[in-house]
This record gives sequence, C-alpha cells and structure tokens, in this order.
Amino acid sequence: MTFYKSNGDRVPDHIRDMAESAKSGEVDRREFLALASVFGATTAMAYGMLGLAAPTEAAAQEPKKGGVIRIWQFVKDQKDPRTYDWPEMANVTRQFLEPLVKYTSKFTFDPALLESWEVNDDATEYTLHLRQGVTWNNGDTFNADDVMFNLTRWCDANAEGNSMATRMGALVDPATKKAKDGAITKVDDYTIKVKFPGPDITFIPGISDYPGIVVHRDFEKNGSNLLTHPIGTGPFELVSYDVGSKAVLKRRENGKWWGGEAYLDGVEFIDYGADPSAGVSAFEAGEVDTNYETSADFVDILDGLGLVKSEVNTAATIVARMNINNKPYDDQKVRNALQMAVDNATILQLGNGGRGTVAENHHVSPIHPEYYELPKKVRDTAGAKKLMDEAGQSDFEFDLITTDEDWHKNTGDAIAAQIREAGLKVKRTVLPGATFWNDWTKYPFSMTTWNMRPLGVQVLTLGYRSGEAWNETAYANPEFDKKLNEATAEPDVEKRKLLMKDIEQILQDSGVLIQSYWRSLYNHSAEYVKNHGMHPTYEIDLYRVWLDKEA
Amino acid sequence: MLAFILRRLGTMALTMLCLTLVVFFLINLEPNLKKLAISQTEMRTSAEQLESWLQKNGYRQNFFVRYGQWLGVLPKQPIIDPATGEAKPRFAFCNEPSVPTYSGVLQGDFGCSTTYKVPVSKKLFPALRATGILMFWVMVTMVPISLLIGVLAGMREGSRTDRTLSVASITTTATPEYVSGVIFTVIFASWLGWLNGSAASATGQGITFYNFTLPVMTMAIYGIGYIARMTRASMVEVMTQQYIRTARLKGLSFGNVVMKHALRNALIAPFTVIMLQFPWLLTGVVIVETMFRYQGFGYTLVEAAKNNDIDLLLGCSLVSVLIVLSTQLISDVGYAYLNPRIRVQ
Repeated sequence: MTFYKSNGDRVPDHIRDMAESAKSGEVDRREFLALASVFGATTAMAYGMLGLAAPTEAAAQEPKKGGVIRIWQFVKDQKDPRTYDWPEMANVTRQFLEPLVKYTSKFTFDPALLESWEVNDDATEYTLHLRQGVTWNNGDTFNADDVMFNLTRWCDANAEGNSMATRMGALVDPATKKAKDGAITKVDDYTIKVKFPGPDITFIPGISDYPGIVVHRDFEKNGSNLLTHPIGTGPFELVSYDVGSKAVLKRRENGKWWGGEAYLDGVEFIDYGADPSAGVSAFEAGEVDTNYETSADFVDILDGLGLVKSEVNTAATIVARMNINNKPYDDQKVRNALQMAVDNATILQLGNGGRGTVAENHHVSPIHPEYYELPKKVRDTAGAKKLMDEAGQSDFEFDLITTDEDWHKNTGDAIAAQIREAGLKVKRTVLPGATFWNDWTKYPFSMTTWNMRPLGVQVLTLGYRSGEAWNETAYANPEFDKKLNEATAEPDVEKRKLLMKDIEQILQDSGVLIQSYWRSLYNHSAEYVKNHGMHPTYEIDLYRVWLDKEA
Repeated sequence: MLAFILRRLGTMALTMLCLTLVVFFLINLEPNLKKLAISQTEMRTSAEQLESWLQKNGYRQNFFVRYGQWLGVLPKQPIIDPATGEAKPRFAFCNEPSVPTYSGVLQGDFGCSTTYKVPVSKKLFPALRATGILMFWVMVTMVPISLLIGVLAGMREGSRTDRTLSVASITTTATPEYVSGVIFTVIFASWLGWLNGSAASATGQGITFYNFTLPVMTMAIYGIGYIARMTRASMVEVMTQQYIRTARLKGLSFGNVVMKHALRNALIAPFTVIMLQFPWLLTGVVIVETMFRYQGFGYTLVEAAKNNDIDLLLGCSLVSVLIVLSTQLISDVGYAYLNPRIRVQ
C-alpha cells in the first residue's frame, strides 16, 4: 500500500487529476487546496499544482519585537478543551496550547504539533509523525504518550459534553462509547497509527477544529483544570485568567518554543460584555488594539473610527430549521411552502446588512470543497400559498423562535415577514441567549447558527444524519445517510461530486431548512497591528503578529 | 432596648432563612438546573449527558439535603468516581474537601461559583468593595449638589430660581438610569470624546476621572432630583415658620436667616431620605453597572443569574437581605434616640 506524506512532494493520483480539473475550473480551487493538503501536499505544492504561487504573508516590513496586544473578546468560563463550545475559550488557551494540525486562513491544513502525516490511498489509515524537540513549559518532552492520551480522551463519548467524539467518527466504538480496540496504536515515541474501519476524509479537518488542542498527558491527574495547571507547548504562557474580565498571557520564558520566539511581549484579552457599543467605546478610548469579531451592523461604525478591516468569506451561517417530529412540520408540503415563500437574497439584505453570500437551503457552501451547483430557486408566494392550502395548514399560526442577538433576531424577523407576505400567519418568539440553548434541538421551528467546517460533509454529518446528537431537524432519510456515508469515504473527486449533487438535492427538496445566507466575517484592528486578520473559524494565533506603533 | 434589638436580629435571621429557601427553590427548578449543566458541559450536549452530569455532581440529591449542606447543618459529600471508587472533591477549583465535611454558610463557607471557578467569597467581596467605591463617589457628588439645589429652590417658594430648579430636578428624577446613561454616553463619549463610555477598565486598571465619571454621573443625577425635591419641600415648610418671620423682623439679612436659622432645621427630613438611599444604591447599581460594565455587586448578581450560578446567587441574596434589614434596624434605633416621643417595643 502506498502512503502519502503531508508536506511532501507526492500525492495520490486522484489529487493530481483533481488539480487538472481545478485548473480547468471543473473543481473549485478551495476544494482542491483543502483536499490536497489532507492528502499530504504542502501549501506551496498545492498552489503549485494549480500553477499558482502560494500567497505569501504580508512580510513587506521587518517585524518588530515587543509590545502587548489587547484584544476585545469575551473571557468565558474555562473548561475541559474537548467540551469547548465557543472559539473564544480556545483563543485564550491556544496561545499556550497547540493543535496537532492547524487549519489556515488559506484553506489548507498545516502541521503544528505533528511534523507530518501520511494517508493511504483510500483514507482508512493515517500515520501521524510527531514533531520532535517540543517541550512542555514544565520541562517534560512532548511525545506519543501525550498524543495517545488526547486521542483516547477525544474518543470518549461517555464524557459529558465531549464534542470531539463526533469528530472522531468511526474510531469510537458504538458499544462501549470509547476508542475502538486497536484503532489507535503507538508505533514508537514519535509515531502513531490511526486505523478507520472504513475510509474517512474528515479525520485531519476534525482534529484541527478548535476543541482539538492538545493537553499534557497529566491533564486529568491535575484535576482537568487549565487555569491552575497551565502546562502548554505554545509560544506564550498564561499569567492570569479572570472570567468576564481579563485574561493575560506573556511570551514563554521557561524553555523555548519549537517555532522560535513570538514577537509580542504579551497578550491581553479584555471582556466588554455582550453590548458591542461598550467595545466601540473601548476602541475610541484606545483601550484595545483589535477585536474578536465585528458584527455586521458595526462594520461601518468601526470603519469610521479609522480602523483596518479584515474580511473573510466563510461557510458560517444561520438556518431556520423545522423539526419534523412536530406537527405540522412533519408534512413536506408545509416545509416546502415555507421555503418557497422566502427570497434568500432579501433575507441577506435585511438580516445581515448584505454582508455575505446567498445560500441555497442545503447547507453546502460554494467555498466548501465538495459544493455542486444546483439550479437556482426563485421565490413564489402564490405557489407557497397554494401548496399550503393543499397541505390544509393555511390557517396554522407558525412560530419562529430565535435568540435575542441582533442579527439572529433580524434574520428571523425578515423570514417571518416574507412568510406573512405569502398570506400565511407567523408569530415570532425571541428568547434570551442564556435560555435558548436549553432546548435548541427540540423547537418545532427555530433558527440556529452554525460555524464553518472545512468540508461540507462534516456539517451534514453532524447536523442531518439520522440519530446524530446535533440533528435538530430530526431528519432521518436512509438514502441521504447512505449517500452521505459514501461521500465521506470517497476520495475521488468526480465521483464525490455526483454524490454531493444528490445529497444537496435531497436535503433541499426535503425542506427541513431555510438557509438564506453565508456570513462574511469581519474584524478590525488598529493600523499598527501587523500580520493579523480574521480567520474563517475565528481562530486567533498571535505568534507571527507584531505591533509597529512608529509607522 | 436590648430585647428589641435581639428580637429584630432574630427576625432578620428568619427572613434570611426564608428568602434563601425561596431563592434556592427557584434556582433549582428543572430548567435552571439544565441551564447550569449546559454551561458546565457544552452548549449542544445531549439530554442523557446533562442528566449524568447533574447526577454526578450531586444536583439530584434531595432538595432539603442540599439546602442543609449549603447552610452547613448537613455534611457536604464528595463525588465518588465510578471507575476507581475514589472520592474526589466536587469542584477542584475551590479546594472542596474530598471527605464529608460540615462546610456551609454557618461555617463561613459560601460555596463555589461555577461561573467564575473560584470560591464565592473571592468573587463576592471584591465586587462589594467595587460597588462601595461607586456608592461613595455617588454620595460625595449627589448629597452636596442636591442639598444646594433644594435649599436654593426652597428659600423663596415660587420664585424664578425655584421654578427652574424644580423643573430640572423633576426631569432628572423622572428619567431612569437606562435612558440618561445612554444619552450621556452618546454626548460625552461618542460626540465629544471627553469620557470613556465603558467602565470596564476601572476594575482592572484602576479608577480614573476618564473611565469613572459617566457611571457616577448617571447614578448621581437620578438621585439628585429626588433628594433636591425633598430638601425643597422641607425648606419651604421651614421658611413659613414663625421663628423665621421673627428673625427677619429682627432685621437679620436674608442670607443670615437662611444659613443660621432655616438650614439646620430644614436638613432633618432630607437626612432620612439620604439614609434610605443606601439600600437603593446597592440594588439600583444593577442597571448602571451592567450598562457600563463595571464589575461590582449588581453586575455579579446579573452574571450569576444569567449562568444560574447557584452558590453565588445565594451569596448575593444573603448580602442584599443583610444590608436592607440592617439599615432598617439602624434607622429604627436611630429614630428612637433622635426623637424621645418614639418608643421601641
């Protein structure tokens, strides 16, 4: 069997074929870049195969050392990383902890604590080569024991709130809910083999997700508490962590970071609460240098303060999903009628100020590698009313539930208004964010946000496969599941594309979701913050960021 | 007198017991427990896992047993790890013992804050201190200004000064903090740029004129109108008294009459009002602290409620009851001393 090494100069033939298709435009370039790097190409090589030069980082200037960057971001309550549900939690800890593989803002996968990885032809076997010469800041050497410990605990589906278990897929034994015997084996101190029962192309993207940061092998012995035992491998170390107020880090002192040395002396995350205007005041007062995210309504305001905007197109979204266990949403006609009543482009304008791209009710984004373009749908209010009459639900009062966050609420209001225009009755329920999530999977008709995942099949697997924990629509279609499983296992792009066409079509026709737009994400920084910008999955990495206040 | 004070202290203890029991009941309603479990595990955790978390951390014990543990009349139990059979502390982050111990409010242990991952006392007392500082500055600005306005308005009832000041003080009192706070922020922070629209840096980096003026101003202006109105009413009443007329007829100047004869008598009523402002300040800070993100008592209370942080919420309610009831006790005793006609039974 042939193995393909990451950051290598060899890739499987199907990746080479795909490069040809990408050049001719049959395959999306981002799909190619993401998949090629999963199958072992370096960023330069992946771009090279397309006949392009890899984008270089803005290193026109000489980096300057020194200074503390202050970031406006929630300082949330910390917990076990595998149970993280907000990227903000990881953004603080990922300054001193690192992932095995990093998802870059160029849509490729770069090794971090791994030096490289090898994948066999059909993506059933991964060999992970660990980076050597990495030390924890308590002096211990980073080795296979650490990674074995992390992989095993990620697979523990019994641990409450462990979302890494779903990302580990078939490595988890459905009977014991722990890692399958023999699935993860230590070859030597710096090599680990991972064997899947069937092909799985989502393993590398899965471990690069934000809960996948690697903790020390004694993490659980030390009470599973990162704040009292902030042992990490990264470029910074934790100084203090004050929930709801401030988190402080400084450049690593005891022991060198394997990647050299960070430019910044330190990092401060400062919490300004849920009201964005407090953060605007902070920018005005010069209390912060950059922020976590600028919500769409505030982009113009922060532009007006003379800050530098960074924008990234993503597959982050909000969906108005219907739960088919509830009447009348069990009737496909009802669902399709609601979809038909809504014009997605209008919702993008009203709900998110036009900041994003229009989506097509099937939760696969044009920037996802496996996107297949389906014929466009047009709004048809008369048709919607007619279909609803046929279903006999024209007098039913629909109730659309959202949280109270501005853009969630506005998007919900816009969708409700459009349904009303079609002559149907809708009422709106707005719940505070703190209580909304108590029952998010059970609401009959509500709006849920989804962050971006590198591959389209990842979200579909999490959210729409029968019986999954996050399946909020209760959608269960054996045919859909079968095709999705095939797609997840299909490394060949042409075949996968055909499968994706059907998958998208089935999901769109089922009508379980009205998905109006993909969000563009923004952040703002003061002009002197260099080499820092928005990341598609909200990650903040600061080891290559510097401040140039004299410029 | 001693019997009276003892009886009142007894009532206070009973009130605290009843109130914490009610609060304890409310925050242990099923949806609230679920909220707690979600915030401690993961937003999208399944129902079975939430249940198992609640089981494991002792939230499924009998309601009264848990209340007793919090109170300190029943021992707190550690968690037994099902895999090893070993006893572990429930919350490792605040040194809970791993053997059953009597450790509740009666023993001086307020429990663990699940949101902030520290013992409640470590969060509650700094927050109270921060609110104390805010209250101090509010009092320092509010009391002299409102007395001055009240006296000026009340010394010549119906004059142009009286009308102008009265309209102004009615307007400020009729404007709630959440309205005036927004208006001030827009004017002073966004347009003029003189002041900081958020007090978040005040708790972290220390108080400055720049970051602390707006919250103090917002609170003080609301109170100023109220106290000024009271002072004016009292002043007006004093100015109609016979002895004022006598003093005037004696040939004293108007200024002298106001300063020497009217002022001291007119200040008795506003003094009571000012005393009553203390409990109001403690609870009234909720809005202002949240709006300006100043991390004091009010802000902590809101955060605790938002995350259903059981021990922290109970700690906050204990403090509130204590402060409200003790100010009442002090004023009752104080009245008896000030006015011999009042007897305390």
